Amino acid sequence: MQNEFMLGNEAIARAAAEAGVKVVAGYPGTPATEIVDLCGGYPGVYAEWATNEKHAFEVATAASLTNQRAMAVMKHNGTNAAADFLMHVNFTGIRAGLVLITADDPGGLSSQCEEDTRILVHSYAHLPMFDPSSVQEAYAMTKAAFELSEQTELVFALRPVMRINHAGGMVQTGEMAPQNRSAEFIIDRKRFVMSAVVEKESGGELRPKMRHRWLNNKQTELKSLMEDSPFNWLEMTPGETGFIGCGIGYAFLKEAECIHGAKLPILKLSTLPLPEGKVIDFIRGLKKVVVFEEVEPVVEKLIKQLCFEHKIVLEVLGRSGYLPQEGELSANLVLTAVEAALADQPYPAPEQGRYVSARTRTQCPGCSHRGLLYALKEVVGKNGGVVTGDIGCHDAGTFEPMKLQATIYCMGSSIPMAHGIKKAGFDKPVYALIGDSTFFHNGLTGLASAIYNGGDITVVIAYNSTTAMTGFQPHPGSPNNLNQPMTPIEPGAVAAAMGARVFYCNPYNVEETIQVINEATAAKGVRVVIAQALCYLNFGREGKISYTPRTVAVDEAVCNGCGLCVRTFGCPAISLIGNKAFIEPSSCNGCGVCVSVCKKGAIK
Amino acid sequence: MKFDLVIAGVGGQGNILASQVVAKCAMDAGYNVVNTETKGAAQRGGSVLSHVRFGDGEIFSPLVPVGQADVLLGFEPLEALRYINLLNRDGKFIINTAAVPTILANMKVDEYPSTEQIMATIKTKGLSGYFVNATKVAKELGNVLLTNVVMLGAFTAVSDILPPDVIVTKLLTMVDAKFHQDDSRAFEFGRNLIRGDVKS
Repeated sequence: MQNEFMLGNEAIARAAAEAGVKVVAGYPGTPATEIVDLCGGYPGVYAEWATNEKHAFEVATAASLTNQRAMAVMKHNGTNAAADFLMHVNFTGIRAGLVLITADDPGGLSSQCEEDTRILVHSYAHLPMFDPSSVQEAYAMTKAAFELSEQTELVFALRPVMRINHAGGMVQTGEMAPQNRSAEFIIDRKRFVMSAVVEKESGGELRPKMRHRWLNNKQTELKSLMEDSPFNWLEMTPGETGFIGCGIGYAFLKEAECIHGAKLPILKLSTLPLPEGKVIDFIRGLKKVVVFEEVEPVVEKLIKQLCFEHKIVLEVLGRSGYLPQEGELSANLVLTAVEAALADQPYPAPEQGRYVSARTRTQCPGCSHRGLLYALKEVVGKNGGVVTGDIGCHDAGTFEPMKLQATIYCMGSSIPMAHGIKKAGFDKPVYALIGDSTFFHNGLTGLASAIYNGGDITVVIAYNSTTAMTGFQPHPGSPNNLNQPMTPIEPGAVAAAMGARVFYCNPYNVEETIQVINEATAAKGVRVVIAQALCYLNFGREGKISYTPRTVAVDEAVCNGCGLCVRTFGCPAISLIGNKAFIEPSSCNGCGVCVSVCKKGAIK
Repeated sequence: MKFDLVIAGVGGQGNILASQVVAKCAMDAGYNVVNTETKGAAQRGGSVLSHVRFGDGEIFSPLVPVGQADVLLGFEPLEALRYINLLNRDGKFIINTAAVPTILANMKVDEYPSTEQIMATIKTKGLSGYFVNATKVAKELGNVLLTNVVMLGAFTAVSDILPPDVIVTKLLTMVDAKFHQDDSRAFEFGRNLIRGDVKS
């Protein structure tokens, strides 16, 4: 055993390796991404990037059924993509320990939403979950989850939040315990075939009902396990108002207690189901409790239910109205709530902060997306078309100054949404803008659907050969998977095989890109434009770039200071100094796309 | 003992390296250490805030609470302004006065306040510290990327929580040997900025 400083994601990967995990699969998503990469670095662990979270979960589950410990890794909205599978694997149960990492992002700091996956995984799928309060606990819980998963034959989920995944702390690690199990697959159709089959032995009941009963009966076993779990505890001190800290909520509560300066009655909860006995021990004699949890009032409502069942009169406050119902907790928020609750006051209305100029996300200098966004904007500026957007670095094209894509929902939505707009009768061209990783994630089926249904749209695929947004993870269109070289699947070839008309352009060449998009727009059916250029930030480090670098500067004699390059293009290297445009040489990566933007020809 | 450091800056300024140097030194000194970063898309010019917390006892929140930081290093003035409320009343700030305008300010969508305005706003908060032009010092040393090292040196001149020689030695173990001479000089220049030996 030794004490090591590690990030939450390192601690989770380390714990999984120590627990003898054999197969790890995931799809990149902040804040969970690093776990898969790190797992792949341990000898004897097979790790892969799947095309999406559902497939990652399926791969990991199949490994578990083959008697090998496995782990699926995803972020919260990725778990939505895997929800269909989740709602079946909960009924079948598993064989070797199977852990699901579903990382949440309260506040939506790096996400499209701030969803709480405890609802999906526990309230909905009735699976057990751990909610770590520290990096050390994330480590301990991951190890425990493998053991308990195997013991209960259920998937165990770990729900770390951003402040755990991306926080560093001291961790007492243990020894590697390789499992050395034979990869045997035992056919057991009664469990692993989820279908409306009549079960003779149970008096002709249908299997879905039988498996549902199996899962319901498991809850008793789980509740008793959680009663003895080392991850829940009481910190008793006299008082009529108690405080419940769940996961990171406990960390903020303890921090608030330090600042408050006096001990508080605290119940620390990090498991679902709840340890009901412990909860009752804590609340008996109290008049009021405040529950701190990320993000929805999951535990709060369970405690209210428990009070009702046990005829306990208690004021239960938390995320259902007393505390802010949206956004991330903090030590300060918790401190404010603690002091208000102790004084029998409502939670005070937050002060409106003063806006300090934000640093919005944008494309890097030298990014191929900027040329593509600019070209597409030029096209729709003339033909009045609409662009539906998707997830990826190019989504910053919705912000100032591009303001191009009109919608962004979830992975792969751009294509069916473009198709829907057209089928609703919209008489101008419609474009779906999607990245390559997202195309393989959930764009393929949408494209097939649009083609099959006689769509009339132009799909633009930004093919930069990496999942850049999350830190350059490979995907099926990349030349590798983790450290393995692979033959890339070319998105254009896939689209052509489906029957789309496929066009190609290099987005660093704005004129060519505009021309190709216009050509595609004029064609019939579903058209696919492959805007192919390597991600500068990723591949530039290896010296592989898709343009010829050049020195770009503003000719001050020609520049009339109109500011078009700044207002419409938004490259971080360009600014207006006085009444002249200026390209900061230390920021500029010499892609030269801005040359096409200046109508005066002042950028050379 | 408990010590909270926050470093506010912009992606690419070497904020995270500086925070890691302090975290590792604190660990070597036997403290319990917790850290994290709050960042948007850092590599793409976003705002980056590093939190380093260490002490003898247990540390719970990875984020430094409002009003708790003992030192705030502002690698960029607007970012320092954004997070100045983290500093405690008795804490010290060191703010690099070299502005990195936001894209929105470049586009005239937002206003980027003048450095004088930022300094004035911070002064009204009754906090004490130093405004230095670390970027200028780094440029004079031949490389703007030395700004973080200048700031790290300055940090050791306002706080004796960790010995300066320990910090600079740790830094050198974390960077390529070809930068050692420049880094050592930048560190010393940063210390001198606070001690008033170099005008900025």
